[in-house]
Amino acid sequence: MEKFIDPCCEKCTHTKDTPCKDFVECCVEGPICHENQECADKRKAIIEKVALDEKFVIS
Amino acid sequence: MYEKHIMICGATGCLSSGSNQIAEALTEELESRGIRDKYRLVMGGCPGFCEVGPIIVIFPDEVFYCRLKTKDMAELVEQHLIGGEIVERLLYKGPDVDAPARFYDSIPFYSKQRFNVLRNSGVIDPESIDEYIMRGGYRALKRALEMDSQAICDEVKDAGLRGRGGAGFPTGMKWGFTNKAPGPKKYIVCNADEGDPGAFMDRSILEGDPHAILEGMLIAGKACGADEGYIYCRAEYPLAIKRLRTAIEQAKEYGFLGNNILGYDFNFKMNIKEGAGAFVCGEETALLASIEGKRGMPRPRPPFPAQVGVFGKPTTINNVETFANVPLIVREGGAEEFKKVGTEGSKGTKVFALAGKVRNTGLVEVPMGITIEEIIFDVGGGIQGGREFKAVQAGGPSGGCIPQDLINLPIDYDSLTQAGAIMGSGGLVVMDDRTCMVDLAKYFLSFTQKESCGKCTPCREGTKRMLEILERITEGEGKPEDLDTLDSLAHSIKDSALCGLGQTCPNPVLTTIRYFRNEYEEHINEDYCQSGICKPLFQYLIDQDNCTGCRACVRACPVEAIEGEKKEPHEIIQDLCTRCGSCIEKCRQDCILITRVGSEADVGN
Repeated sequence: MEKFIDPCCEKCTHTKDTPCKDFVECCVEGPICHENQECADKRKAIIEKVALDEKFVIS
Repeated sequence: MYEKHIMICGATGCLSSGSNQIAEALTEELESRGIRDKYRLVMGGCPGFCEVGPIIVIFPDEVFYCRLKTKDMAELVEQHLIGGEIVERLLYKGPDVDAPARFYDSIPFYSKQRFNVLRNSGVIDPESIDEYIMRGGYRALKRALEMDSQAICDEVKDAGLRGRGGAGFPTGMKWGFTNKAPGPKKYIVCNADEGDPGAFMDRSILEGDPHAILEGMLIAGKACGADEGYIYCRAEYPLAIKRLRTAIEQAKEYGFLGNNILGYDFNFKMNIKEGAGAFVCGEETALLASIEGKRGMPRPRPPFPAQVGVFGKPTTINNVETFANVPLIVREGGAEEFKKVGTEGSKGTKVFALAGKVRNTGLVEVPMGITIEEIIFDVGGGIQGGREFKAVQAGGPSGGCIPQDLINLPIDYDSLTQAGAIMGSGGLVVMDDRTCMVDLAKYFLSFTQKESCGKCTPCREGTKRMLEILERITEGEGKPEDLDTLDSLAHSIKDSALCGLGQTCPNPVLTTIRYFRNEYEEHINEDYCQSGICKPLFQYLIDQDNCTGCRACVRACPVEAIEGEKKEPHEIIQDLCTRCGSCIEKCRQDCILITRVGSEADVGN
């Protein structure tokens, strides 16, 4: 998962053609539809790569 | 993980002063040392302080480097990135700081600013939708999609957001008109046709945070019942257009544009229309005509665009800054936060392009209600060269001139209107005591006269006649009745011109007559321009008592009109002098005097 649009695992179904209502929150706080630390870490890795400081992310 | 993030200003101002070359030199330096991968380099949006560009901000250290040159990059890499020591000589220095300033909180330029619209500018990579989402982006859209259309209009109205493009019409109310207009097809249009001389607010927002505009337009689409949008941006803004195109493609990929957005019953298509740069296309009905492929000319209103807009369909038009405010308001609790800033009738912040004779030029975002004095002296650092503040032109060619006497005037829609100016889109041109107010009025009127589309007689003919009078006055051929004629023509044009541009174009003339009538009278009755701008109406003389004979003026004069021996007072040969002003710029003793034509030693005049 290099971008938020990439699925974290097969459980993520969000695409432009099959949109998920929780997609926006899921990018930063996800996964929302299932619990999986690995999937959460994938999102965290994207954030940590570019976040300038602890105030950078706004939920 | 990167060790540090290096944000290089990639906005047009810094690009023109060499930030691309700075980025290349920095990349080369890092690559030559084999450490390129440790650092993230981003060509970001504008941090605002254009006067001291090119700018680099290094995170997480939060160090602000300015006035950079390519040759500085080796030292910056060696000392800061590798050695961990700040390069003090590259920090901000100026008369407003005691010591080199490290970051925003210690640079007076930023001290009274509040970033709402510019919240992401210079902080995120404007070409990354992921970073926009990390900063809370598209959450307001999600919330709007769950709201009733009228509830969104009410919330924006309740927040007190007024259009940032000129007239300050309440945005929520405007959306409500389109929402209530009948018909299945409606449009949202973003007016990015920024044409005021010296203004670059919209360009900087588009370049620094394009997704904020898209999100604002999508929310407006939901509120108005529209499913298609146009961004009308002048082709002279290639970087803004490039970033908008990138943002639109990303938004499509992520499902924020297209059909069934985020799984809701809401579709939206976004288009970009590049304008050819005609000033009149900033007027909404001319802009709509231009989108339709017709010649950009205004038409009478009513019907207003909310009833009959682009392609004959109900249309909401807002400007860039208005849309950029919308996501902040519509997010959870946003309206309440928004209302906390500003004045009773003008909520939120306003972005201004600060230009002219002020020391710190650049892009500033300040709370509504801040005074002119605070903007010019606290944010702007005062007048260049320590000269005296004379006036500020607010609102571009459609705005008015506010004199030194009104320096404590709060900047809000109502106060500016009472003073004869307008908020406009946010241009602030500062003038010092060497500015001739008659010449200034002539400059702005000459701009609007050239840009008049010619459709209505009052604007086409009236501005031409007014300009002819101003030209005569500045050439020493003014007549005593000219002021009354100018006033009468100006009011006729205001009352009868077809569009907002025509109706407001006499403002610079009216306000300069209102506040600087003595200068007009001096030009007309005494053949004298005290500012030394109108060439037939003054002459330069050298103050014989103070001239040290340094020959700086002799060397500067391009027509050899100054003579005199070294260490002896010099003299100007009036028949040769072209009044170019080269001598006055070079004289360190301030002994080049502006005097009436024919005067010999009448220094006081």
